[in-house]
Amino acid sequence: MGNVPILISNLSKVYSTAKVRVAALQDVSLSLEEGVFAAVTGASGSGKSTLLNLLGGLDTPTSGTIEVRGRKISEMSREELALYRRSGVGMIFQSFNLIPGFNALENVALPLMFAGVAKRERRNRAGEVLAQVGLGARIAHRPSELSGGEQQRVAIARALVNRPRVLLADEPTGNLDSRTSREIVTLLAELNRDQGLTVVMVTHEESLAREFAGRGVRLSDGKVQAEERWR
Amino acid sequence: MRVRDHIGLSFANLWKRKLRTCLTAFGVTIGIGALVSMVSFGKGMQKNVTESFRSLDLFNSLTVFSEDFFTGERFDPDRRPAQPLPSGASRAVLDDAALEKIAALKGVDTVFPDVRIPAIVRFNGKDEFRLVQVIPAKVTSSRMLRFSAGKGYASDEEDSLIISDSLLRQFGVQEPQALLGKKMVISSIGFDFSRLNPANLTAALGGERLPFTTEDTELTIVGVAESQAFAGPIPIQSDVFIPPGVSKRMKKLPFSNIWDLFRAREGRLGYSAINVRLSSPAFVEPVKKEVAGMGLRVFALADQFKEVQKGFLILNMVLAAVGMIAIVVASLGIVNTMVMSILERYSEIGIMKAVGASDRDVRRIFFFESSVIGFIGGVFGFALGWAVSGVINRVVNYFLAKQGVPYIAYFSFPVWLALGAIAFSVAVSLAAGVYPAMRAARVDPVRALRHD
Repeated sequence: MGNVPILISNLSKVYSTAKVRVAALQDVSLSLEEGVFAAVTGASGSGKSTLLNLLGGLDTPTSGTIEVRGRKISEMSREELALYRRSGVGMIFQSFNLIPGFNALENVALPLMFAGVAKRERRNRAGEVLAQVGLGARIAHRPSELSGGEQQRVAIARALVNRPRVLLADEPTGNLDSRTSREIVTLLAELNRDQGLTVVMVTHEESLAREFAGRGVRLSDGKVQAEERWR
Repeated sequence: MRVRDHIGLSFANLWKRKLRTCLTAFGVTIGIGALVSMVSFGKGMQKNVTESFRSLDLFNSLTVFSEDFFTGERFDPDRRPAQPLPSGASRAVLDDAALEKIAALKGVDTVFPDVRIPAIVRFNGKDEFRLVQVIPAKVTSSRMLRFSAGKGYASDEEDSLIISDSLLRQFGVQEPQALLGKKMVISSIGFDFSRLNPANLTAALGGERLPFTTEDTELTIVGVAESQAFAGPIPIQSDVFIPPGVSKRMKKLPFSNIWDLFRAREGRLGYSAINVRLSSPAFVEPVKKEVAGMGLRVFALADQFKEVQKGFLILNMVLAAVGMIAIVVASLGIVNTMVMSILERYSEIGIMKAVGASDRDVRRIFFFESSVIGFIGGVFGFALGWAVSGVINRVVNYFLAKQGVPYIAYFSFPVWLALGAIAFSVAVSLAAGVYPAMRAARVDPVRALRHD
C-alpha cells in the first residue's frame, strides 16, 4: 500500500427519497499516493463534497470500495467509522463548523476529549497545534470573536490535533476573501510539504488549486472527467 | 470519553440554558418533593405506631376475654369471629380464680383485671366525665405508663391517683409539677340499698326512685401520665388511674357498661377482661394456647400489629402512587427539554460526530445531561419535601396541642429516603433521557453539517 494511501474503486453513491433518486457519484475510481496535495474541482452538484464525505467516513457508499492507508472504510461499522474520523483523518469545511460556545482551545481539544485524553494533556496539545497554525495568541477567543481566516485556522488545528496522516478540506476558502483564501491554501500546502500530510481539497477555485496542488481531479455529474498531474 | 469530561460537559451545556434547566429541574424538584413528603408521612405514622408499641411493652401484652363476651369487638377492631373452643373445654367466667390460674402460667409477669369505673372527676371547680381505670401499683411503675411529672403509687392501698396530662389541660392546668400532692375528687355511682326496701320497691323498679347514689372519694395526685398519642385496644388507656385498694373501698357498680350485664352467668359477672403482661414476646404463643384451653378468648396485640403493618404497606403504596403522578409529569418535562436541546444543537452534534464522537459518546452526553437534571431535582426535591413536611408538622402539632394532643412527629426521614429519593430521581431522568439520547445518536453528520 505504502505509496498509495487512498484507493477508490467503482465508487457510487445514490441518494434516494420516496420520489427522486439522485446518483451523486457513479463508478468513480481513483488512486492518490502518500503525501500528495490533490485538488478536486468541478461545478456545484458534480459530487465533490459527496466524495469527500465518503473519504472522511461521514457517509457510506452505495457500492464500491474506499481504502485509506490500508483500511477498508467502505466496510467499517458505525463504531469503527467514528474511530477513523477521530484519528485516521482530519476534516475542515467551508463554514468552519466550530462549536460557538467553546473558545479556540476548547474547539481544538474536542477530538482529544472523545479520544479519552486527560484535560491537562488536551490543553497542552491543543495549544501546540494552535501555535503551529499561527494562532498561539488567540486561544481564549470564541469563534464569534475571530475572523473567518482565523476560524479556519482553528478548524485546521482541530483537524490535526489527533495527528492524522490525511487531511480533507471541503471548500476551505468558500467563505473567505481572496487574500485570506490564499493564506489558508498556503498553510495547507506547507503542512503537505513540511509534514508529508496527504491533503485532498475540494474547491471551485481552479486557478488557486493549480498554483499549489500537485494533482487535479475534475468531477462532472458524479464522474471523473479529467485527472491531471500539475507538478 | 472520560466520565469526568461527561460530567463537566453536561454542567457546561446545562449552564448555557440556565432558565430552561432550572424550570425542568424545578419540575423534578416538585415531583420528588411530593413523593418524599408522601412516603415520609407513611413512614412517620408507621414509626410512631411501632415505637409506641415497643415502648409500651405492647408486644408482650395479651388481653383475655370471657368466651361469650358478645361485645368483644369493642376490643377487637377487626372483628374476627370468635375462635371455637377446643373440645372438652367449658365456658369459663373471668373471675379471680381464672386470674390466679393465668398468673401461674410460665412466662406471665403481671396479671390484672380490666376494671373501669364510670365517674365524675372534679377539680378546680370543673367536672369531667371519665372511665377511671383500676391498675395495680406494680403496673404504674412499669414501662406501660410514662410520667411527665411524679411517679406511680407505692402500694395498692394508697389513697392516690394518677391523672393524664391531657385531662389536666382540660382542667386548665399548664404546669403538671405544681399539681403533685393536690387533692382531686372522684365521684362514683353505687347501689343505695335503703331504697330497695319493700315500701319503695315499686317506685324503684318504675324508675321514680332509682336505687343508686353517688359517693365522693378524695385522692391525692401522685403522678401525671403522658397521654397516648394513638388510641387503640391497648391495656392501659384512661385519663385517671387508681389503685385496686381504693377501688375496693369505693362505692361502685360491678360493671362499667350496661351491656356487660348480658355476660352474667347465673348471677356471676366476672371481669370484662384481664390484662396479661408477659416477661418476653416469646411467651405469646404458648400462653395464648394455655388460656384458650381454659375456655377463654385471647387477644394478642402482636397479632394485631401484623394487620397494622399490612395496612401501612397499603397506605405507603397509595401515598407513593400519588407522588408518582408528579414524577411522571416532571419526566415528560425532561423529555421535552432534551428533545428541544437536540433540535437546537443539531449542528453541534454533527460537528462532534465529524471529529470522532461515536454514537455511544453522543448518547452518553445526553444521558448525563438528563441525569444531572435528575440529580439536581432529587437533591432539591428532598430538601423541599423535608421543608414542607416540617412546616406541616409544626402547624398540625400547634393546633392539636391546643386540644391536648401530645406532640407527634408525623413525618419520618430515614437516610435511605434521602439517598433513595436522589437515586430514584436520577433513574427516572435517565429513563426520560432514553428517547432523546437515541435520537441524538442517530443524527446524520452529513445532514447536520449541511444545516447552515
